[in-house]
Amino acid sequence: MTLAHERATEFLEGSRRQQRTIVTPEGVPVTVELADHGERLTAFTIDVVIWFLLTIAVYLPLFFVALRKDAALIALSIVLFIGFVVRNLYFIHFELAWRGATPGKRIVGLRVIDRRGGPLLPSAIVARNLTREVEAFIPLGLLLTWSGTNPNWEHLFVAIWLLFFAALPFVNRDRMRGGDLIGGTMVIALPKRVLSGDLVEREATYVFTAQQLRAYGAFELQVLEELLRRPKSLETSKLLAEVCEKIQHKIGWTAPLPPRDTELFLREFYTAQRAFLEREQLFGKPRADKYEAAQPHA
Amino acid sequence: MSTILATDTPIPPEKTAGRSELVLKSSEFRKGREASWRDLETLIERVERRGAGALSLEELQRLPILYRAALSSLSVARSIALDRNLLLYLENLALRAFLCVYGPRLDVRAGIGGFFARDLPAAVRGARWHILIAALCVIVGVAAGFLLAVQDESWVSTFVPSGLAGGRGPSSTRADLYDKEIFAPWPGFAASFGVFANVLFSHNTAVGLLAFGLGLAAGVPSAMLMVYQGLTLGSFLALHYSRDLTVDFLGWISIHGVTELTAIVLFAAAGLLIAEQLLFPGRYSRIESLALHGRQAGYIAVGAVLMLFVAAFLEGGCRQLVASTPGRFAIGFATGVFWFGYFGFAGRGADDARA
Repeated sequence: MTLAHERATEFLEGSRRQQRTIVTPEGVPVTVELADHGERLTAFTIDVVIWFLLTIAVYLPLFFVALRKDAALIALSIVLFIGFVVRNLYFIHFELAWRGATPGKRIVGLRVIDRRGGPLLPSAIVARNLTREVEAFIPLGLLLTWSGTNPNWEHLFVAIWLLFFAALPFVNRDRMRGGDLIGGTMVIALPKRVLSGDLVEREATYVFTAQQLRAYGAFELQVLEELLRRPKSLETSKLLAEVCEKIQHKIGWTAPLPPRDTELFLREFYTAQRAFLEREQLFGKPRADKYEAAQPHA
Repeated sequence: MSTILATDTPIPPEKTAGRSELVLKSSEFRKGREASWRDLETLIERVERRGAGALSLEELQRLPILYRAALSSLSVARSIALDRNLLLYLENLALRAFLCVYGPRLDVRAGIGGFFARDLPAAVRGARWHILIAALCVIVGVAAGFLLAVQDESWVSTFVPSGLAGGRGPSSTRADLYDKEIFAPWPGFAASFGVFANVLFSHNTAVGLLAFGLGLAAGVPSAMLMVYQGLTLGSFLALHYSRDLTVDFLGWISIHGVTELTAIVLFAAAGLLIAEQLLFPGRYSRIESLALHGRQAGYIAVGAVLMLFVAAFLEGGCRQLVASTPGRFAIGFATGVFWFGYFGFAGRGADDARA
């Protein structure tokens, strides 16, 4: 039923995002699209850059003090500590205040949600972000501050630890990192969608028989919808003319059709086709695509 | 009506001549509800941009009503409409409204406060048996290390990696240990912070993460690691015992060791929790069980990291400043009481209230 528009999306955009269904507390299943690894990496990189700049801003006054007294160790430990505090406050603050989005996630269009469709609890947000410390930042700090001259078993272990957590989102179904696993969350892509006008024509100039309308199914209907919604250009009109010819051939349309009426013809065919398919669907005879066996008509 | 289109008989010619009216159920449905969707969309946009505070009281009351209306529109549209744009829009709108209506309602202070006041101590309390097991492993290690090293001091160099020993070993004299270790002069502000940074990002953290991470290997390595930590400590104790420095050594180590050892034990307990979920997943699959109970282990690990911060501060900042054994014992004892009280009793009332 709803599969048709997902298939159309896959056909039109080349690939389909991984989808999951969550059930809202009202009992309505809603489809969510998992965020890609690349998107998450981008969002994280943006956040890390912002965090880094923030840390430097906080740290700059201290930095000059440290330079004068020639105490690099103080500088190092304070910057590590301030970095720790700032990045945790940063992630937790924004995910709480912006309902599961940090600035980086917002720019890329990602959101953190509860994996089972419940409300996103503050404890889950705190958990998923503090886990980031254990997962990545502290081991990273370990590797960076140790001297690289004589690698020992601890280096090896920390490297394996980092690799393991970096690989984790790639090996589980819901692309969860360690913090998501522990916080019971997942990250979804949530681009804003706009509602375009209805393509339905009010008046019909061309009339089609039920036999003609039975030639196609919901999938073809929605691909046609997408074509009709494309911005007007020379390319689009060429494509439409091509499609129009194919449809005429398929449904056996013999009446003459002036080229300037191509779009009108397609829109009306779309309207009639949609009216027909929606009615059939209401009567319990949905038709997914043109290959589906014709239902015996009543 | 659209029904005229469904008949198999060709449409009578007189009808094809004129322009006939078309009415689609899904179109009518959309016309009737579009205004309320648009209304919801503007409300959501404002909440997404400026938070729930951007809405007036009347709008706040309208939001859940519009949200439920959008959900029901989605359910209806799924069964009657084939307009792809409309279906995608409604899915998206319903999800965004859902995230607005069921979003977190706390600010960062309340969120973090709740974590430390309730979640963390509750998680630690819930793992008391795991903590006990990990602590027992350390104690067994200490006893074994002590007994072995008291008889033969070459064990010290076996148990203690040279990087950690820092020149201490069977050849150290009492004076060496007394002046250069236990009552070494305070090295100054800079070096203290150096110790802080060094401790924070060095051996202990690695050991803690190791104990936590090896929980995935059924927990046995976590327990072994605890025994090994105990062995190191026990052999050191023996080294000082033979030179009649037992009390001073215990004072020297207790000032930060209480916090640090507790943190390491907590890491191991979190590892054992994970091991338990993997070995005895109960009626869930192993991954589900891990996801369900992983939160507790994660909380404990996070708490342990913060304890390592405190331990590093005590070791780097305070240990050589407090140059008297009773003073060190006092601080060590106070930290012990603090951690016990915090993990044992913080947020108990909230547990009962929620139960």
